[in-house]
Amino acid sequence: MFPDRRSRSFLDPAVLSKLAGFPLHARKPMQGTVSGRHPSPHRGSSVEFAEYRKYVPGDDLRRLDWRAYGRSDRFYVKEFEADTNLRCCLVLDTSGSMDFGAPKISKIEYGRKLAGAIGYLAAQQGDAVGLACVADGLVRTVPPRRNPAHLMAVFDVLEQAKPQGTTGLAEVLHELAETVRQRALVVIISDLFVEPESLRSCFQHLRFRKHDVAVFHLLDPLELNLNFHRPMRFLDMEGGPAIFAEPNEIADRYQKAVREYLENLKAVVLESAVDYHRTLIDEAYEQVIIRFLVGRTTSQGVR
Amino acid sequence: MNFLQPLLLVALPLVSLPIVIHLINQRRYQTVRWAAMMFLLAATRMSRGYARLRQWLIMAARMAAIAGLIFAASRPLAQGWLGLAAGGRTDTTILVIDRSPSMEQEGAAAGGTKRETGLRRLKSALETVGSPKVVIIDGDGTKPIAIELSKALAAITEIGPTSASSDMPAMLQSAHDYIKANQAGRTDIWICSDVRANDWNPSDARWQAIHEGYQAFPNTVRFLLVAYAAPAPENLSVRVSEARRHVTGDGAELLVSLRITREEGGDGRINVPLQFEIAGARSETAIEMTGPHYDLKDYRIPLDKTRERGWGKVSIPADANRADNEFYFAFGPPVARRTLIVTEDPQASRPLQLAAEVTPEPGLTCTAEIVDLGQLSSVDWSIVSLVLWQAPLPEEEEAERLRALVARGGQVIFFPPKTPGNATTFGVHWTSWRDDPNQAAVENWRGDQDLLMHTNSGAALPVGQIKVRRICAAEGTATPLATLRGGATLLSRVATDLGGVYFCSTTAAPSDSSLATDGVVFYVMIQRALRAGTGSLEKNRDVSAGLPQSDNPEQWKRLAGASEAISTEYALHRGVYESGDKVLAVNRPAAEDAAPVVSDDRVASLFRGLDFSRVDDKAGGAGSLIHEIWRMFLIFMIIAMIMEAALCLPRRQNQASPISAPMRRESVVA
Repeated sequence: MFPDRRSRSFLDPAVLSKLAGFPLHARKPMQGTVSGRHPSPHRGSSVEFAEYRKYVPGDDLRRLDWRAYGRSDRFYVKEFEADTNLRCCLVLDTSGSMDFGAPKISKIEYGRKLAGAIGYLAAQQGDAVGLACVADGLVRTVPPRRNPAHLMAVFDVLEQAKPQGTTGLAEVLHELAETVRQRALVVIISDLFVEPESLRSCFQHLRFRKHDVAVFHLLDPLELNLNFHRPMRFLDMEGGPAIFAEPNEIADRYQKAVREYLENLKAVVLESAVDYHRTLIDEAYEQVIIRFLVGRTTSQGVR
Repeated sequence: MNFLQPLLLVALPLVSLPIVIHLINQRRYQTVRWAAMMFLLAATRMSRGYARLRQWLIMAARMAAIAGLIFAASRPLAQGWLGLAAGGRTDTTILVIDRSPSMEQEGAAAGGTKRETGLRRLKSALETVGSPKVVIIDGDGTKPIAIELSKALAAITEIGPTSASSDMPAMLQSAHDYIKANQAGRTDIWICSDVRANDWNPSDARWQAIHEGYQAFPNTVRFLLVAYAAPAPENLSVRVSEARRHVTGDGAELLVSLRITREEGGDGRINVPLQFEIAGARSETAIEMTGPHYDLKDYRIPLDKTRERGWGKVSIPADANRADNEFYFAFGPPVARRTLIVTEDPQASRPLQLAAEVTPEPGLTCTAEIVDLGQLSSVDWSIVSLVLWQAPLPEEEEAERLRALVARGGQVIFFPPKTPGNATTFGVHWTSWRDDPNQAAVENWRGDQDLLMHTNSGAALPVGQIKVRRICAAEGTATPLATLRGGATLLSRVATDLGGVYFCSTTAAPSDSSLATDGVVFYVMIQRALRAGTGSLEKNRDVSAGLPQSDNPEQWKRLAGASEAISTEYALHRGVYESGDKVLAVNRPAAEDAAPVVSDDRVASLFRGLDFSRVDDKAGGAGSLIHEIWRMFLIFMIIAMIMEAALCLPRRQNQASPISAPMRRESVVA
């Protein structure tokens, strides 16, 4: 599995073996290069019947359905679904805010685990895996490839990713929507600390390019509740000005702002048909991935 | 606010403790690297209205709780004691107590009279406030009694009523003299009075001196007036204006004239039963009155033909004030009214003689003897009621004779001589004659009292018709009774304890004035002086309580009246007393009947510039004049603490909040 036998801090073999039983499905037809597990927009040679089509000159005579000709005295060609592989493009937010986290784990580490596990699963079923590290721009990028050695390169980039800089997620997503070939699985792992309205156009751009978009919204419980009991001086992890505040005094308004943000974001992802997963980083990541995979299995089959 | 433990107020700065703690807490901030700055920025941009108000309320509640605790520990006092005891306990507390008959008025509640209520309140206040030394000034106010607190508490309720008016200026002057003589330190003067005009006499010139005297003290003297100013509109008072024996064909009878006065504000028709008591024999009659006054003239009571002298009592049923429901009177054979006219020109004194000799009513004997200065030594001064002196002012021996006459109640009216000399008598001397071609008329005169007083029916004397052609003004310490247009004084009176000394600035000669030609005023004036002078010669006579007496009241023997009066205070208590061969009927002064209440502003003006507080109370009130209110502050503190706790309670989480559990475990799958 790991040709160089290097152990990765974000990869847990026990978790990976547990996840091996859950296939990664695309919710939309994918446009791969080889045969795979995912539906293709084109007709192919799988065993799954698709439709009858009138014969037109030039069609392969071997695909004529003679029984249909006997019944109707007309020529029909029998077509079957095509299965293909997918391109899984992992987008990891590496802005400064991703360095925040509970004592046990930070959001960037949590994101590494999610990205590593999903990349591994995709590679295992023959899908191409790529990676884009995003901060105030596109920091590092690895185009999707389907060989295992390429997966090591993805893991290396994951391992080397450092949280720094501001969040320029919206611009980068627009860029990726254009640069990644159509019909790919785009997995965004970020804390999404940008205005929800700016994400709306990004998601719709990706949707227009027929990408299957999944979002893991990483949040720390402390960020939601502002559970402090003393006056605090908050230093912006992305280099902005510091704010002095009395948490007891502003907790109500802070939580109100969080609620409004989450409601707006929910509206955006619903309108954009994004596979959205709000994830608290104190939760076991394998449970999050299982939920992600199971959810996609139930919605599989749409071509 | 006033406190019994004001030193504890030093701890009041502790009220700022919550603010200090808040500021310290602000400085003990922690620094944290934070990712979700967009929410913090949004929170700081949002309106802080309620949150900021809540924080302020919590802070205020904490401060209020501390303040309440400190105030409660300082033992605050309540009800009208603003300005009093603010700086701790006083060294001396002087109680000035009005014991006049009007203070015997009872309230609607059965809690006693104004005096009893006031004394009860003062005792309670003394117990609460405490004072090392207590000085009591009561009655005529001449003798301050300094006693310790414990004895004062026992003695204060023993202070009984009198029938005499209180002289408030004299009492405050006495208090002033005491403070000055004893160099009392921090002094409070508590005045208990019903603020009647006859007791306070706010126009008295002594108030100015008293005011200046108190202002001159290095230590601030604080005044507290416990006022019982509420009148009793239905209160009736009875006063005998005259009681004389009249011989009839088959016997004798007593003619009693009296006046019933209803206190201001009373109205309506009422029946008043009158009870007369003479030598143990009682008779009753009833009158019906509608207005503020009712005059009963010459009510006839049969007398034993042999009884020429005696005394009696008239009483009305009990009402709001029991002290003015009875009136003692004495009667006896009329005394001849003798006038001594001392003149340098007998012919010019003829009008004086006529005015003095014409009797105002049958049965009286009025004589006037004209003498010159050389005949004075042969005059029997002991029977003279009135001296009309139209000669150079007396000196030495003659002056001494006149002083003796005045001291026993005799009256003297001085008229200017032809040639005014430099002599001075009773502090007054004549200036020179001057003509007044305009024949100035009298512009102002005292119609409420003294010689020019209105008649019994209330009609004014025609004093304004008098014209003065020549005037010789009197200079000295005399009180004007009538002034001419232009400011010159026509008639003035010298202040004396007994008797009367008057100076008339013109004569009755037609060339000098119209006193004789418009003789009504002159006649009334002479007759009133004559009557007043004769009163001191009558063996049975009426006297007003509290006024100086020519003989020692301690030698009196009580025939009737209040039994609680001690012999030294006989002159202050109504009743009938025997003094040698005389019988004296002592009653409250006429001014006590329906005396008006001095307005609040006028009282305040008397103490302007001094530390003065006023508490208005009612007779029969059951509450305490002051009481400690630390419990109220303790309750206030508890309320503040409960409010603080309620405000500090965490707000209930909204179950539908997107931050709560559902968001945590469920994903939104579009």
